[in-house]
Amino acid sequence: MHISVAAERCIGSGNCVELAPRYFDQRDLDGVVEVLVSDVDAGDESAVAEAADICPVSAILLGVGGGVSSQ
Amino acid sequence: MTEIKTEHVWPFERTSPLDPPPVFAELRATCPVSKVSTWNGREAWLLTRYADIRAVLADPGISSDLTIEGFPEPTPTVAAARGGQKNFARMDPPKHDEHRRMLAPDFKIHHVAELRGYLNELVDVLLDRMEQLGGPLDLVDMLAQPVPSSVICQILDLPTERSDFFQDRVKTWMSFDNPPAVASQANQDILDYFSEVVDERFDKPGDDLISRMITNQVKAGKLGKDELLHILQLLLVGGFDTTANMIALGTLTLLNHPDQLALLRDDPSLVNSAVEELLRYLSVAHQVAFRLATDDIELGAQCIHAGEGVIAPIAAANRDPEVFADPDKFDITRDARRHVAFGFGLHQCLGQPLARIELQVVFSKLFVRFPHLRLAGNADDLAFRNSIIYGVAELPVIW
Repeated sequence: MHISVAAERCIGSGNCVELAPRYFDQRDLDGVVEVLVSDVDAGDESAVAEAADICPVSAILLGVGGGVSSQ
Repeated sequence: MTEIKTEHVWPFERTSPLDPPPVFAELRATCPVSKVSTWNGREAWLLTRYADIRAVLADPGISSDLTIEGFPEPTPTVAAARGGQKNFARMDPPKHDEHRRMLAPDFKIHHVAELRGYLNELVDVLLDRMEQLGGPLDLVDMLAQPVPSSVICQILDLPTERSDFFQDRVKTWMSFDNPPAVASQANQDILDYFSEVVDERFDKPGDDLISRMITNQVKAGKLGKDELLHILQLLLVGGFDTTANMIALGTLTLLNHPDQLALLRDDPSLVNSAVEELLRYLSVAHQVAFRLATDDIELGAQCIHAGEGVIAPIAAANRDPEVFADPDKFDITRDARRHVAFGFGLHQCLGQPLARIELQVVFSKLFVRFPHLRLAGNADDLAFRNSIIYGVAELPVIW
């Protein structure tokens, strides 16, 4: 699983940081999401998928292999 | 497309104080996308399924700008109260995003986490005071209100002596029981108060959110003073009553479910999960998800047309059995994190990390300090608040 984000949509809810702090943080300037690690370990996939699902603006995009699909 | 009849009038009555009106469940089973009429005779769509409510709140074709003709409102008083609001909760992108991002750094998860030490001390002091005074006493007055009001005073660097003034004006602004003019005046009082504070800090900035907004945004020409006043009004009304009502109703809910309370007392690590379940179960923001479609939105067999009002109650979403098994059961061990108690879409609550941490600290300490806490008096005598945010007026307790 691979993470990318549509940062322009992010409203800084911080849900992803709460659910998967190894993978997500927020920029100091505006609270917008930043990806810390973009390749997800197998054991963390469900937490990252949940973060993508509850993102209120669908700003977290998860891809399998080379492709990216919106959650 | 089937023709939808308008059979119901918003708002609905509750039949049990801690549960949403039963009409939500009836409609969800029979007509999940229906129409209701509101106080002024206008119609609005009413959604009752989790998936539809999430989808609509996140749809780019939905607006929160209540100056658009046809925007639905629950009551004339709320129309007046909200009509005085000119902040990003009432804006659409791109201006919404611009304003919200000015505040987002102060509400970042890691930033808010730094308040945990302050909160631990604050709650200890409040529990000490309860212990010294002895019961019976009103938990709303002694704990539920002081926690969020102290936190707001801390973040905005406001004198705690003015807490009563803020609480009174916020309550008046929120209440459905006042005439519209009284709600408008409460809003103006809050704006007038902040106007003086902003003027003072313009020349003598401190290390607080208001001073940072003046220095980084107002003085830089990115935000008008009036816009800042409306943002501060939003922080006040958003930060006070919501958390206060969650603390009081959350305590009542745990007292009503002794098996769940025993689980929490025996295993303090359940506190975060208990807080998420309380947020889901209570859904105190029961009159906030009003929107207007600015574009056609397809929902299954129905089409919400541009110009039509939509009510997307979070309390209906959070009791949807498709998402939460046995949704009317209060179960602190369930994974409730998909709830939409803070809303969904780009207007999801800015202060949610702060609300969470306040609730986590309160519910990790209250029943440790007072393991035998119980209601003083009869549960049937409790008065629940007819307000934008649902709450209980007083919660007399002994231990």
